[in-house]
Amino acid sequence: MKLAYYPGCVARSTGREYEISTLAVCRALGVELEEIDDWNCCGATHVSNEIVSTALAARNLVRTELPVMASCSICYSRLRAAMIRLKDRKVRERVNEALEVKYEGEKDVEHVIETITKSLGEAEDLEDLVVRPLAGLKAAPYYGCLLTRPGGGIDSPENPSILENLIRTLGAEPTDFRLKMKCCCGPIFMPEEEAAAETLIRILRNAKESGADFVVALCPLCHLMLDANQPLLEKKFGEKIDLPILYVTQMAGLALGLGAEELGLEMNSVSTRSVLEKLEAAEGEGAEKELC
Amino acid sequence: MRIGVYVCHCGLNIAGVLEPSSLTEFAKTLPDVEVARDLQFTCSDTGQETIKEDIVEHKLDSVVVAACSPRLHEPTFRRVISEAGLNPFMLEMANIREQCSWVHMDEPPQAQEKAKDLIRMAVAKAALLNPLQGETMPVSRGVLIVGGGVAGIQAALDLADSGLHVYLVERKPTIGGYMALLTDVFPTNDCSICVLAPKMTDVYNHPLITLMTYAEILNIEGSVGRFTVSGVKKARFVDEKLCKGCINECAGVCPVEVPDEYEFGLGKRKAIYMPIPQSVPLIACVDPEACIGCGLCSEACPVDAVKYDQRQEEFRFDVGAIIVATGWQSFDPARKEEYGYGRFRDVITGLQVERLLNAAGPTGGEVVRPSTGEVAKSVAFLQCVGSRDETVGNQYCSRVCCMYALKNAPLIKEKYPDAEVSIHYIDLRAGGEGYEEFYMRAQRLGVNFIRGRVSEVEKVDGHLRVNYEDTLLGGFRSKPYDLVVLSAGLEANKEADVIGNLLGLSKRPDRFFEIAHPKMRPVEAHIDGVFIAGCASGPKEIQVSIAQGEAAAAKSMRLLLRGELTLDPVVAMVDTEKCIGCKLCVETCPSKAISVDKTALVDEAACKGCGTCAAACPVDAIDMRLFSDEQILAQVRAATAVKGQYPFIVGFLCNWCSYAGADLAGTSRIQYPTNMRAIRVMCAGRVDPAFVIEALKGGADGVLISGCRLGECHYSKGNYQAYQRVQVLRGVLEKVGINPGRVKIVWCAASEGEILAKEVRTFVRELKEMGPVGTELRVLGVPEPPGGDR
Ligand SMILES: Cc1cc2nc3c(=O)[nH]c(=O)nc-3n(C[C@H](O)[C@H](O)[C@H](O)COP(=O)(O)OP(=O)(O)OC[C@H]3O[C@@H](n4cnc5c(N)ncnc54)[C@H](O)[C@@H]3O)c2cc1C
Ligand code: SF4
Repeated sequence: MKLAYYPGCVARSTGREYEISTLAVCRALGVELEEIDDWNCCGATHVSNEIVSTALAARNLVRTELPVMASCSICYSRLRAAMIRLKDRKVRERVNEALEVKYEGEKDVEHVIETITKSLGEAEDLEDLVVRPLAGLKAAPYYGCLLTRPGGGIDSPENPSILENLIRTLGAEPTDFRLKMKCCCGPIFMPEEEAAAETLIRILRNAKESGADFVVALCPLCHLMLDANQPLLEKKFGEKIDLPILYVTQMAGLALGLGAEELGLEMNSVSTRSVLEKLEAAEGEGAEKELC
Repeated sequence: MRIGVYVCHCGLNIAGVLEPSSLTEFAKTLPDVEVARDLQFTCSDTGQETIKEDIVEHKLDSVVVAACSPRLHEPTFRRVISEAGLNPFMLEMANIREQCSWVHMDEPPQAQEKAKDLIRMAVAKAALLNPLQGETMPVSRGVLIVGGGVAGIQAALDLADSGLHVYLVERKPTIGGYMALLTDVFPTNDCSICVLAPKMTDVYNHPLITLMTYAEILNIEGSVGRFTVSGVKKARFVDEKLCKGCINECAGVCPVEVPDEYEFGLGKRKAIYMPIPQSVPLIACVDPEACIGCGLCSEACPVDAVKYDQRQEEFRFDVGAIIVATGWQSFDPARKEEYGYGRFRDVITGLQVERLLNAAGPTGGEVVRPSTGEVAKSVAFLQCVGSRDETVGNQYCSRVCCMYALKNAPLIKEKYPDAEVSIHYIDLRAGGEGYEEFYMRAQRLGVNFIRGRVSEVEKVDGHLRVNYEDTLLGGFRSKPYDLVVLSAGLEANKEADVIGNLLGLSKRPDRFFEIAHPKMRPVEAHIDGVFIAGCASGPKEIQVSIAQGEAAAAKSMRLLLRGELTLDPVVAMVDTEKCIGCKLCVETCPSKAISVDKTALVDEAACKGCGTCAAACPVDAIDMRLFSDEQILAQVRAATAVKGQYPFIVGFLCNWCSYAGADLAGTSRIQYPTNMRAIRVMCAGRVDPAFVIEALKGGADGVLISGCRLGECHYSKGNYQAYQRVQVLRGVLEKVGINPGRVKIVWCAASEGEILAKEVRTFVRELKEMGPVGTELRVLGVPEPPGGDR
């Protein structure tokens, strides 16, 4: 399978480990990625101007013939939203005025979670790929708000299950995580820090209470809010959370047998060692059992 | 042909701008005109008498009245000439008031020229008029009512009491519809089934009502006055004549339990069951899906009524009219996933709470949490679930859910005074007699009203929480409740789709059946002889559903009581010699009035005379009895005979909207240029490209076609067809080198006189820019078309 890869700006800044693990996982799955040449912002920085944000997204889409894969939920959502807007003839005409290559037909756009799910689903023998099932690990599936929006895409916008299913496929157990759809408050963090902090701590507490060993994130902004922010939240609320936040690609990479380094696991703010240790311990047990 | 022409002064209304005496002199010069006079007020008794005397004295064959709009006085003058022995259709009017003197008050000389043209056009048509006879046709005195909800029941009783025979066909094993399942009903809170059951029994006992329950209509043929209906009565596996309705004997021994659809899944029923205790007919029914064939019920039945080998029965009957009262279905609240219906047991629907409150319901009238069976101490009603919500494709308000929440919240509060009951709403809509008072009563009883659409229902530690923004107090809130009731909206009933397709009913964007006019014809369908009542045409409460049942019954009586139908002779006719059986007309006809068996056949009872088929026919095999090709072409030629003005426009205005709009411009004295000569057609869809070409050939610089606004066509889609034809024609014109802008199609409602005037002004300007017709050919060096004599 060959896909056009749309990295998005965060891949080259705060979300480097997401890009590293995305590339590693795709390689392991035999998915060939071709980075879109001279890509630009997905449009998220200009959502207040429909034409500009749509044109930005469209410019990326017209630069390739291949189906497009994005790993950031915001980029993914923007690209899809733009395609919906572009169905309107008037919007399309205005956008095309600004583009050198015109936007004609619709594109296939997928999120990396779809790419992984599809590849595993199509595998002849799953065990050949999932060489290190995450048995014994409990993962809190965190969707955030944009993966499933605008509606009519990947999964139900209110009660999706694609991440739980992937967690199970990889051998781990999804926890009953009530706040899995709550917004990570990234967009309001600056102007409404107080409200954002309140929400974030609720999300983290809820994830911890659900019994999770770690949280799975699908979006670099969510990751930033829950991971990089975690020490600050701990200090602010005077409580220990210490919950590793893994990108979906990092989790998948572990199950595919990739090493911590290949997945950029040491780059996460909250140490991911507890996850690795638990995985090793479980493996040890499994191996012992096999020996007996 | 001997024609009399009467030019009206209308006091100074016409004579103030035009010169009737010289118009009269002009009329005398026209071919076939035997006599012409100007009259002070043609519609007055003296005017009428003059015409009548002339008809006798001069042996006139047809009459032209040049006066006001035919939309005003055509019926008057038709009556006048028929009193003098002429066929009423031997009349043509020239509209020199609304569409001439009143709109060209500042340009008398040009108006006078236009009036002459209008008279010439009218005389040309009058010379080609034929006497038409509205045929009478015997009709069946039976009425089919589809759907035995409260609307259908009411219609059935009214019709049968008036002496017509009713066939009431209901899909379910009992009649009653949703009303039979509700608890007390607003606005007076009487027990629903107590007021409905007597009517249900009356239906059963009425000698003139044939009740067919558990029945499915499979085919409907024919048209107004003589529909043939056929279908099947499904097998109940119980002998209707033997069953005594005791039900306990058989259902008591039946070992199979399934969710009870009449309790909306809250209770259970057996495989042999009685839908509701008050079922009409009171006959048990075996559910073939659930039955395991153990035979226990058959053994238990004291009268041996259970018949496992019963077969479905076919039926077939004739009726003159059909009332569609197929009701509604509930919005599926599981589609609003954020509210957790189907995931959380204590989230239920408005219909389910009706059953809980019902003393005959699954809990004997206790409002309990389904998860625990304990009485709910706090209850939230969430409004507008699946209504006013574009995310689920329902823009409309369901109209009754505010009221039923305002009914059920107090019922709970009265029963359990300590319970906390809240209604989460966006706006509360309580429009109706006594409804606002009903709302205030709920407020007094202590129901909480919280404004703001609920964002989600979640389950925290085994307890439901409702999260919302309180838009009155401001701020986000979260409130725990024992029970959450979703006020799910009303949707168009999918089970009625078959009926809609068989009858060719159209649907609105909200998917409910469309009525013939959104205000003026509230219970008529687009198809003659078909009426729609109750929620089949949109959400409404019981009172209005009943009123519509009564109205549909009255309309059916008006149609059928005399036993015969006088058909409007203004219909299409087929020249079977020419017809090639291509079926284009069948697709075009909005009234499903044409069928093809080798050649086309017009059902004159169903034809409404729009003439779209005549314009569509590729071989001119269909023509109209009035507004015929010959007559319209004669009008076009008469219009372009002189062309005293530049640019010269021939207009085609549809009778219902644009012609009326032009009349309105007149009554409002909106002034516009005198350049257009308008021809009245029944529908913009009547305009055959041949008419347009004839006008251009005759030297008209432009042709304006005006129809009802899109979506508002009197015949539903004629204006779309006109639009398509114009597009094709413009393409052709462009190919031969004629500026396609010379043919223009516009939309104008009857209320839009100003728009019509504006369109004429704009078109005149555009045509001036284009230059006289043929200019473009001269540039190309093509020889000019004939008739371009300027
Ligand atoms: C929770 C709730 C509470 C309500 N409370 C009130 C109230 O208190 N007061 C009030 O005024 N209104 C109330 N209403 C509204 C009320 O239910 C409707 O006004 C009423 O049901 C309309 O009656 P109807 O005959 O149009 O349709 P229905 O009751 O839907 O009856 C239609 C009938 O047609 C049958 N049918 C459908 N398709 C076919 C077919 N193809 N062939 C044969 N038969 C067919 C159906 O089986 C059904 O029996 C309430 C509605 C809801 C949802
Ligand atoms: S009646 Fe009330 S609850 Fe129902 S859709 Fe209309 S506003 Fe909403």
